Amino acid sequence: MFPNRFEYLSPSSLEEALSLLKTHPDEAKLLAGGQSLISLMKLRLANPKYLIDLGRIADLNHLRDDGDKFSIGALTTYAQIKESELLRNKCRLLPQTASVVGDAQVRNRGTLGGSLAHADPHGDMPAAILALEAELKAVGPNGARWIKAENFFITMFTTALGPDEILTEIRVPAQDGEKSAYLKAARRPSDFAMVGVALSLKIGPDQTCEKIAIGVTGVTDRPYRGAGVVKALTGKKLTSKIIEEAAAQVTEGIDVMEDVNASKPFRSHLARLYTARAIESALQA
Amino acid sequence: MHRIKLTINGKGFEHEIDSRLLLVHYLREKARLTGTHVGCDTGNCGACTIIFNGKAVKSCMILAVQANGAEITTIEGMARNGFHPIQESFMDKFAVQCGYCTPGMIMSAHALLSVNPDPTETEIREAIEGNLCMCTGYQQIVEAISLAAKKIGKSGNK
Amino acid sequence: MMKLDEILVTRNWVGKPVRRKEDARLVKGEAAYVDDLNMDCYQAAILRSPYAHARISRIDVTKAEALKGVVAVLTGQEVARETKPISARAITRPATQYVMAAEKVRYVGEPVAAVVAEDRYIAEDALDLIEVEYEPLRPVVTIEDALKPDAPLIFEEAGSNVLMHDKMQHGDIEQAYREADLTLKEKFKVHRYSSTPLEPWAIIANYERASDSFVVWSNDQQHGRSLTNVCNTLGIPINKLRLIVPDSGGGFGIKLALWPYIVILSLLAKKVSKPVKWIQTRREHLLGGSHAPDANVEIELALKKDGRILGLRMTDIQNDGSFVHTAGIYGLIKFATMVGCYTIKAMGTELLSVVTNKAPTVQNRGVGKPTMIFVLERMVDIAARKLGLDPVEIRLRNFVQPRQMPYTTPSGEIYESGDYPQCLKKALDLVGYEELKGHREEGRKKGKYIGIGISAGVEPGTSNLGYYYTARGIPEYTGNAEGAIVGIDYDGNVNVLLGSVDSGQGHATTTAQVVADMLAIHPDQVSMNAHVDSLISPFLGHSGVYSNKFNDVDLGAVIMATKKIRDKMLRIASHALGIPVGELALREGKICSTKEGEKAISFREIASLAYKKILFLPEGEEPGLKAIAYYSNPIAKLPNRKDFNIQLTHSNSVHIVVVEVDVQSGAVDFLKYGIVHDCGRQINPGIVEGMAIGSTVHGIGASLLEEFVYNEDGQLLSTTFMDYMKPLAMGVPKFELAHMESPCPYTLLGSKSVGEGGSLPSLAAIANAVEDALSPFGVKVTSLPITPEKVVRAVKETKEI
Repeated sequence: MFPNRFEYLSPSSLEEALSLLKTHPDEAKLLAGGQSLISLMKLRLANPKYLIDLGRIADLNHLRDDGDKFSIGALTTYAQIKESELLRNKCRLLPQTASVVGDAQVRNRGTLGGSLAHADPHGDMPAAILALEAELKAVGPNGARWIKAENFFITMFTTALGPDEILTEIRVPAQDGEKSAYLKAARRPSDFAMVGVALSLKIGPDQTCEKIAIGVTGVTDRPYRGAGVVKALTGKKLTSKIIEEAAAQVTEGIDVMEDVNASKPFRSHLARLYTARAIESALQA
Repeated sequence: MHRIKLTINGKGFEHEIDSRLLLVHYLREKARLTGTHVGCDTGNCGACTIIFNGKAVKSCMILAVQANGAEITTIEGMARNGFHPIQESFMDKFAVQCGYCTPGMIMSAHALLSVNPDPTETEIREAIEGNLCMCTGYQQIVEAISLAAKKIGKSGNK
Repeated sequence: MMKLDEILVTRNWVGKPVRRKEDARLVKGEAAYVDDLNMDCYQAAILRSPYAHARISRIDVTKAEALKGVVAVLTGQEVARETKPISARAITRPATQYVMAAEKVRYVGEPVAAVVAEDRYIAEDALDLIEVEYEPLRPVVTIEDALKPDAPLIFEEAGSNVLMHDKMQHGDIEQAYREADLTLKEKFKVHRYSSTPLEPWAIIANYERASDSFVVWSNDQQHGRSLTNVCNTLGIPINKLRLIVPDSGGGFGIKLALWPYIVILSLLAKKVSKPVKWIQTRREHLLGGSHAPDANVEIELALKKDGRILGLRMTDIQNDGSFVHTAGIYGLIKFATMVGCYTIKAMGTELLSVVTNKAPTVQNRGVGKPTMIFVLERMVDIAARKLGLDPVEIRLRNFVQPRQMPYTTPSGEIYESGDYPQCLKKALDLVGYEELKGHREEGRKKGKYIGIGISAGVEPGTSNLGYYYTARGIPEYTGNAEGAIVGIDYDGNVNVLLGSVDSGQGHATTTAQVVADMLAIHPDQVSMNAHVDSLISPFLGHSGVYSNKFNDVDLGAVIMATKKIRDKMLRIASHALGIPVGELALREGKICSTKEGEKAISFREIASLAYKKILFLPEGEEPGLKAIAYYSNPIAKLPNRKDFNIQLTHSNSVHIVVVEVDVQSGAVDFLKYGIVHDCGRQINPGIVEGMAIGSTVHGIGASLLEEFVYNEDGQLLSTTFMDYMKPLAMGVPKFELAHMESPCPYTLLGSKSVGEGGSLPSLAAIANAVEDALSPFGVKVTSLPITPEKVVRAVKETKEI
């Protein structure tokens, strides 16, 4: 409940933030919405010597329609995403997912970038950006680079971001008639996902799946793309049987996690169940 | 140490504070506004809910130093004299028992009704999902917020 | 006993949903919880054991003491030197334990040292600087662990981990078994959970050097007892501790176990020159703030073919953690109403209190009765299924009938009133039972698994203290009573000082309603401060807010004191007006002649005579207009193993729950929740309804969400409100309620217990509903909580939750 001592730094530009990060390479943490980090600091599970608050960098909070893509600043909050009419019309999966993260107060402070950089294995947003095949912009002392969502999550609480890099922007393709859904198995509606499945799919005539992308969270140490499911569905007519058979692939080759809420077998079962249900839900949308 | 200047309930405050001081502790101890409460360690209970730059937030999950320049409304700011319609409704509907969750609930209700003046029961429950109550079982709180919406709608008050 | 008409002269307030007086300051955030009190304090932090079971071989506080801002440090060694061991109550084996661990730690979270500093942040920093060397010992976590022949002993001197073992028989159990057509046996497992009040434990202690005495502010639930416990432990006379209880943010029994920390804070206060404050964090609360014990219960019913239950046998092994003060106390208070609402004529009960390296236990809301009703009502449903009876029918065949009231159970408990069959019938109407059954059948055809669960429960109140002593002789406390001081102010308003506090139950409002109707005034003219100050409040050892005693003895004391005042005012008025008392009546703040209405004297004028113009008082009448009364429940019996009433009022209710179980995900959703509830005469229906719903939601949490999970090293995994899940607004159904009022003949207003209420029958109702929903799969529910994983596994393979 009472954090350890630290020095608080509040840069007003990205350049300043990068410079501070470079000066304190091992002992600094970046603060976005604080809904995860401040909790860890209160429990003294995270004890950074320097806390670099990105909240004053105006550029980092934006939502821009770039025609065939949307550019979302890393410090855009879940609430802003949930309420964005632009996204609700052109990229529904993001507000669909943001709406079920935590509660109203969490959504008012928590950010997309913060969530992704924190890489909690039970987080909701990582599943969505995998399903959207998003790209993430990492800016470091040597310039900027784009990281594909599928390469971003390494293991729990670890991403492809370097220690001197800041996640500044998330780019998602504009949707063109895709159907989407995010379903999660949680003990209470505002809890983390025991298992969460996000998907975006394009249906052709005759109920065939032209394209599908899936993001699965809560199952293993990082969110993943469910490649086996994608393979089993692409080009196929989506009958209940096909969906069920495809969903069964979702834990193939995956080391399923175990915790108080779900054992390995139960979690695997939930993963298959929610994959199938997410597909059904998307089809009905 | 950091110097912060902020507005709470329309009044200006200025203090020198430690970087690690949580906003909820600042409100309670430095600003002496003890209506905002602490009920947990991990931002789960919502007893510390305030309005921060127009949005309902948990003040235990924000550092006081982040509140520099902020405009905050706490329970003490809900009504200068008399009672706000939300407070009246809570009293009408027996939505208060021990009172510990009450300020947080009222702030969340206030945030909801400011953007959604005629919420459904589901929307009300969603708005207070981040506010834990151990006494009431939520039913009378939901009824109170619904009643408040009607009261505010009638009077054109905010 | 006074009749209602003698007590109440008007009927304007009692029975009405009067708006609560407490609310005005609570909705404004102007309450005075301990942490709100405006005092310049130091802050304390407590170092807690990271091991479940270990010896302390070395402790070095020098670095902590040297930290800038630290003003005092306390270790367990000092505590063991300066204080007496914690008093035990129910256990029959020796077990020495201090409020702070000196040589050995017995649970993760047990206090090992404490620090006082300028602020809490610094105090927590100082904890990190205290060096403790532990020699870990093999932890004992489960009941099974504790009972193994080679199990490490939690208290070596006890020679065993079973600190209490008691067997009792009431009625002729052998006869019951002889007459029975069949027996049914089951094993149940109930988990650890807690009501976790939103405001945790809070203490401010100040040492007054000049008088060598302490002043303590704390949200203690039973100050009458805590005063004794703290003073005995510190070895000081009672007059050296002044205990003040301000506003409390919920109690639910959990704040009955905080007095050992008052001892710690008092010792800390003695070392410094400012008051010392300690506010428990949520982690501390979950780790060591006391739980309801987990238990393994084996029960057997002896039945006739027509469903009548003739007798029951039960063995209850309770995991009481490691706190000697409360180990074993649940015993009789659970078994006293073991027969539930039924005419079961014989019972054989066996209780084992087992200590382990889990957290301390305390009398959490319901004190074991939620478990007992769960077990009994589950057995009733299981018996119904076995005998092919409807769950309604089997209950109707076994209910105590209204004409049998007052009914004495085999162990001596007196059910004073109640109409259980009518309560059930009303509940069936409320939910539309017949239509629901059709709905359920239709659902099953479509693969929707809907279940209906019924639970009928007795909801007792007012504990006859000393119930835990039956294994040891005459207890320290017997019966239950309360004190009140009622006075008229100079200006004719009424003020009440009660011996007890409240923790959210609206005592000031309820009291004002009763006094207003006793004196023919408005509740606004009655003020009561629900705080307690041991220097001035008229308390007894029993005083406190627990076991729903308020409607019984607290109001009883208020009524008797008000009656004294009323009688005195009538005598003074009679003398002043020259009219006999028999021709006087109270009306709107005046005492008037019934014959000549204009002849009247106001309360203000009477007060003026009593307090100021005392020479005008009648001959022999003392000055002043303030009376004290202590009121004791009249039917309490002395502790007696054969015939003992543990609780003195008995409300009752029926819960009918309708759930839909998603057999693939294991999720349980509520479709309907109906409650018909009888607490005798309701004084404030708005307050009653709030508590009926709130207490039921505690049962929802306990049945489906909450569990204290320990790993095999005795580490508690549920240490935050993220892990320990409470019901939130989106997951709680909308309740439908109806009320009945079967007045109690043994309380002055006919009112009975309100408070624990729904937390008692709800576990059974929900479990019965889930089992009903899963009956196509042949699943049996014998444990709690009902988690999604347990549901799915039961449906697929184990057939048992």
